Amino acid sequence: MLHLRRVAQKNLIRAGKRSVGIRGLATAAEPYDVVVIGGGPGGYVAAIKAAQLGLRTACVEKRGSLGGTCLNVGCIPSKAMLNNSHLYHQAQHDFERRGIDATVSLNLPKMLQAKDQAVTGLTKGIELLFRQNKVDYIKGSASFISSTKLSITPIDSAAESQPTEIDAKNIVIATGSEVSPFPGGAITIDEQQIVSSTGALDLKEVPKKMVVIGGGIIGLEMGSVWSRLGAEVTVVEFLGAVGGAGIDDEVAKSFQRILGKQGIKFKLNTKVISAEKVDGKVVLQAEPAKGGAAESLEADIVLVAVGRRPHIEGLNIEAAGVEMDNKGRIIIDDQYTTSQKNIKCIGDVTFGPMLAHKAEEEGIAAVEFIKTGHGHVNYNAIPSVVYTHPEVAWVGKTEQELKKEGVSYKIGKFSFAANSRAKTNLDSEGFVKILTEKETDRILGVHVIGPNAGEMIAEGVLAVEYGASAEDVARTTHAHPTLSEAFKEACMAAYSKPIHM
Amino acid sequence: MYPSLRRCSAGVRTPLIKFLGKRSFPSTADTPHPHPAAPLELQQRFSEFLAKVNSSGSSQPASKSKQSSEGVYSEFWEAPPRFWNPRIRHLEEAEMNAIMSGGASSY
Repeated sequence: MLHLRRVAQKNLIRAGKRSVGIRGLATAAEPYDVVVIGGGPGGYVAAIKAAQLGLRTACVEKRGSLGGTCLNVGCIPSKAMLNNSHLYHQAQHDFERRGIDATVSLNLPKMLQAKDQAVTGLTKGIELLFRQNKVDYIKGSASFISSTKLSITPIDSAAESQPTEIDAKNIVIATGSEVSPFPGGAITIDEQQIVSSTGALDLKEVPKKMVVIGGGIIGLEMGSVWSRLGAEVTVVEFLGAVGGAGIDDEVAKSFQRILGKQGIKFKLNTKVISAEKVDGKVVLQAEPAKGGAAESLEADIVLVAVGRRPHIEGLNIEAAGVEMDNKGRIIIDDQYTTSQKNIKCIGDVTFGPMLAHKAEEEGIAAVEFIKTGHGHVNYNAIPSVVYTHPEVAWVGKTEQELKKEGVSYKIGKFSFAANSRAKTNLDSEGFVKILTEKETDRILGVHVIGPNAGEMIAEGVLAVEYGASAEDVARTTHAHPTLSEAFKEACMAAYSKPIHM
Repeated sequence: MYPSLRRCSAGVRTPLIKFLGKRSFPSTADTPHPHPAAPLELQQRFSEFLAKVNSSGSSQPASKSKQSSEGVYSEFWEAPPRFWNPRIRHLEEAEMNAIMSGGASSY
């Protein structure tokens, strides 16, 4: 009581000094410096960086777990399946020639469980990072009331979970993307028999026949997984090459040939018209892209992998006054500012390739712009990787782009068949291809198909980012025996001659 | 004293690679430009977009409060904190109950 009396006296004294009527004074909660909407790779990285820069930060995520599509139903679970299916396939088809006699069988439920454990571990890890960096993690869906005020509906459906409002000086939209439906609506995804990449990561049994619509990165990765596990996979692609946007033509041809040897069938320049469920199967009608006679394809499972589109559902973006283009992407400038000064936007929901690492870089740059007015993302140095076996990775310009732009260039190529480590590993398919500016020797593009290409491309990204010449890389010592020597030799080939080929 | 091999080679060839070292930002903010991955059409009418941005609501560096000389603010946090975050001690529920009940709720 003594304490209470003292407190009351203090307040009375203060109240006396001020004007009367303090009881009626409405107080607002202190606004956040930054609220990030979306806890995917772009959003969570932006939130952590903002907090590290000393900004009071919250991250709103409606999925119930952090990490977005990438961690929950994208990059991470697919890599778990790719890695483990590769081991299974290798044990079945490759061990014998290495002197290992083993009989293996597939335990699919356990493989799916291993995938789920990888996802859970990583998403919980981000929650820990939020706590360590003092980011407020708000589990709910955000909806704009104005450009500075958000309504948050908790994902907990309990009766006491009423929407609340939060104020933010700056908002970063990082809501990502969702699976694009099949164009024209002729095929409906049910995630049971006609699946998106999400459903393809959770099939309860190996299909006998699988048709993949779309020969891009997602289609080829998931097609590889189920092919290795025993499915007969056919990839139907509208365009004349596999690998998706940005792949070098020469690499794409080699890639298709290698996957073909692994048992995946391809139907290029082919358009799927419809899909119908008949007697437990899916019957697809497809015809040549330029017109012609239709043919039927039968499958137990159909994977629709025709791309992704920006996700803004439930955001009430009109209330924020943020503009979008005709593809549903939020329009931004090079500082990630939308048509509202205090709202920035990063990742899949705006311009550029839909890649997790691109979103992460943008997340960091966006909050640095908020804090300092400066940020950095080099869009010429964003790598792409296909995690099949062999892996395919590239950064910078393709040969066809350089031709189109009229740039004089040189090519340096080195085959993994001439690389000592690849040979000893009995894994020597593919090559490294370096494209340089003829006049200056500056590296303009790096394309790798071969073992460990996804790791090796980091050297290419660094070279492009720093404006290195092929000679700069070629004169750098690479450890022997490593796969990375193929990279060095390709650089030697670009400015002079390789030693081992 | 003999020069090292590295010094000899440095005399012959200058690497194209540029190491930027530790970055120091200028005191003024960068000027906005069209996003490099934006469609050409949007890049061409960037000035229109920029005009919309400039006419949009308040924006400020997150840690700084904008002072209005006229005392008119578009957001509550732009006003001096004493108006929206008064320095009074917020009483807890139990303390209020104690006051309201003349101390009886404490027993």
